[in-house]
Amino acid sequence: MPKNFLGKKTDYPVREIMERARKGRKSIYPFSNEKSKFSIYGASMEHTGKKFFTLDNIVITPPQFTPKRLEKAIELIGREPIYHDVDLSSRIGGFRAKMPLVQASMGSPDDWNKVAPFSARACAESGIIAGIGENITTTWGYSSRVNSTQPSFYDRSMAYLENTAEEYGGLVIQQNEEDAYDELWNRIYSDKKFDEYIQKGMVAFEIKGGQGAKAGMGGEKVVDRATALRLKQKYTIYPDPEHVIADSYERHSAPDIFTEEILENRIKKLKNDYPRVKIWFKTGPYRDLGDVIRIAAGAGADNITIDGKEGGTGMSPSVALNDVGIPTISCMKAIASAREKGVTVSMVSSGRMTGGGDMVKSIALGASGIAMGRPFLIASYAYSHAEHFIERELYNYAILKNISSRIAKPDKRSITFVKNMIESIETEAKLLIASVGKYRVSDLSREDLGTGSKELSGLLGIKYIYE
Amino acid sequence: MTGKNISPKNFADDAFSVLSDPLMQKVYTAYDNVSASMREYLNGDGFLEYKSILMGPVTDPGIRGSKQVTVDYYGYEYKMMSSAILYKQLLTAARKKAGGEGKIYFFADNIRLEPTETANTDRHLAEFIQVDIELADTDHHGAMSVAEGLLTHVCKSMKHHEKELSEIWGAFSEEAEVRGLEKRTEIRVPKTPFKRYTHKEAVDELISYIDSNPEALKEMEKRFGFKPKELNHKTEIHWEYEWLLSSINKDPFFVYDYPKGSRGFYDREYDDKKGVLMDFDMLFPGGYGEAASGAAREYEHSRIIARMKETGEKLDKYRWYLEFLKAHGIRTAGFGIGLERTVRYICGLPSIYMALPCPRIPGLLSP
Repeated sequence: MPKNFLGKKTDYPVREIMERARKGRKSIYPFSNEKSKFSIYGASMEHTGKKFFTLDNIVITPPQFTPKRLEKAIELIGREPIYHDVDLSSRIGGFRAKMPLVQASMGSPDDWNKVAPFSARACAESGIIAGIGENITTTWGYSSRVNSTQPSFYDRSMAYLENTAEEYGGLVIQQNEEDAYDELWNRIYSDKKFDEYIQKGMVAFEIKGGQGAKAGMGGEKVVDRATALRLKQKYTIYPDPEHVIADSYERHSAPDIFTEEILENRIKKLKNDYPRVKIWFKTGPYRDLGDVIRIAAGAGADNITIDGKEGGTGMSPSVALNDVGIPTISCMKAIASAREKGVTVSMVSSGRMTGGGDMVKSIALGASGIAMGRPFLIASYAYSHAEHFIERELYNYAILKNISSRIAKPDKRSITFVKNMIESIETEAKLLIASVGKYRVSDLSREDLGTGSKELSGLLGIKYIYE
Repeated sequence: MTGKNISPKNFADDAFSVLSDPLMQKVYTAYDNVSASMREYLNGDGFLEYKSILMGPVTDPGIRGSKQVTVDYYGYEYKMMSSAILYKQLLTAARKKAGGEGKIYFFADNIRLEPTETANTDRHLAEFIQVDIELADTDHHGAMSVAEGLLTHVCKSMKHHEKELSEIWGAFSEEAEVRGLEKRTEIRVPKTPFKRYTHKEAVDELISYIDSNPEALKEMEKRFGFKPKELNHKTEIHWEYEWLLSSINKDPFFVYDYPKGSRGFYDREYDDKKGVLMDFDMLFPGGYGEAASGAAREYEHSRIIARMKETGEKLDKYRWYLEFLKAHGIRTAGFGIGLERTVRYICGLPSIYMALPCPRIPGLLSP
């Protein structure tokens, strides 16, 4: 805590104000070296988590009486059911998946892009759905690389599509307005190399309506001057790289514009224009989420992904991470309410999900599955020599960048790391589902959850554990 | 050479043999005659022809599934025109403002990298000419009147060439029948006005036709290689049904008032009928399918902006167009009629690529 001029501690944000004074508009992003501003892709901001409930306020509550376990025993004939009898296979957004876990649509940040093909391959081999975020083609190229060390959009897509097995999984591809400038979706749809996979029904296009860590804001990135000059036609760049020499430039992309009518017609038009791909819609922690779900489902979206405010980000203003948007738990409430109203559309929840517990809790509340982003990034960099950087300067945004530059060439071990992580989540989820005496993921329901908060109990319709 | 022998591969392997074939030369002559008769009609009706525009900062994004071609224009990305639609509104308004009638047209070169699946539809090319027509102070019904007048005039003119055409009809007739096209033996000059179905009436007509002729479903499956989709009043009429509707009509006809969701942002929505567009398709009879597509235009920039967001467009790309509409937008309507499609119909060609020398067949590499 900073001290005031009398040497007494104060909670007045002296340091933040000085930071603003020294760095101007750069100070609003959490990549400054000040120790007070930690963030790993949007996580661990100082206030986050103290303002609202999270999934950690919920526990899984196994019962003594488990009629479904008896049913399973009868089905198995002569063997006690155990956790590996749990069937996690799911249908999500028009795809078949080996488990209800989705690698979230992460975009163009340097350190992620570098390992993304390894992670994509791990997802494909594990039979889970994976997303590809926005700005990749404009930043790193469609099929030929803009930078020899950075995979192109095509490298990332094929690392996934060429490694799927038994038609499990699906590739979800975003296009924002800047990508639309290059007509990314039309390009994919008329690209012979994608044809086979589109024919098999393994591709979805995802409209981006929002992101947890920056509700109502567009995409932000810091780029060097050469990149700024190259992207000037398609993005708003500050300062103007043609007239101002600076060590870095802000690349802004605009948030998309929706009204109820625009959303409905956008989904309908995409379904009409690209009949052979699935249409997904990703939304964020908005106060009108209930209406968003109703309209997207009514218009025929194949899946709605809902990213809570704790969700990750390549770069967002610190104030957005702290003070903007409704938390993941409130998004879960919106999903639960939609289910009560009979909405059956596939819905994936995300926003600081890390393990099998989060998966089971979310599905019990009504989600069809969960999406995670950062865990895939961190797992990809689980090299032993990376560890001490992470431990020493825990979770500073700049540090991960540092790691990726020290490990100039991440290698195939990243695939194993990600597969290991997926396997651990899979096992955890199976243990938990079996613990409540169920063997199919779709059997999970709110009866399997409890909470120590009366408020949360009332909100989500789950049991108060002190009664 | 007979029609049977020509395949897309011929154009890739030995284009000269195809091009120098006397029969194909007759087709190219018919193409020239059709073009001349279109110009004759339009010029006689007070339309001004503008030179085709090849590239610009933005082109028509409303083309289902096809990719635009980007060129490097002094370091900036320009697009090859996929249609001249935005320029038609601009030039019609300008001509009207200067005291003219506000009637214009292009023989517009269009480039669209269509999905390779369209290589088998017999009527998609990656490069083609669309005779693109626009007129001020009218709606889609006014545009339909021009379209039927134009096609009737082409038929009248081509009636004089029946002798040369009969050789083409004969050569291709067997192959045309295989593709589900009516055998051509004469040029029928249609009577105006053409039959006009609303989209709803067209769907109803198809439903009742299939009720009394259930074998039509099998025929469609044989023709297109997949089970026909479900018919409904809310979406575009799919290719297989469009073919059926075209087959059961003896003369050219219109389908108008399509549901929203299938067309570009520039087709105007009725003020008093939400979700219905003031647009139309003109179809040839005998299985030859779509000839032209047109509409009354959205011309109020605020409505266009909302529609653009429905298609996910980046507004910055369209700044010149939106600024023009805000300052000078006027009520216009128009359509584009496929020149090669018309030649195909007149000549009874099994597939559209046969209408052009050096055709660009989606996905095929040829000179």
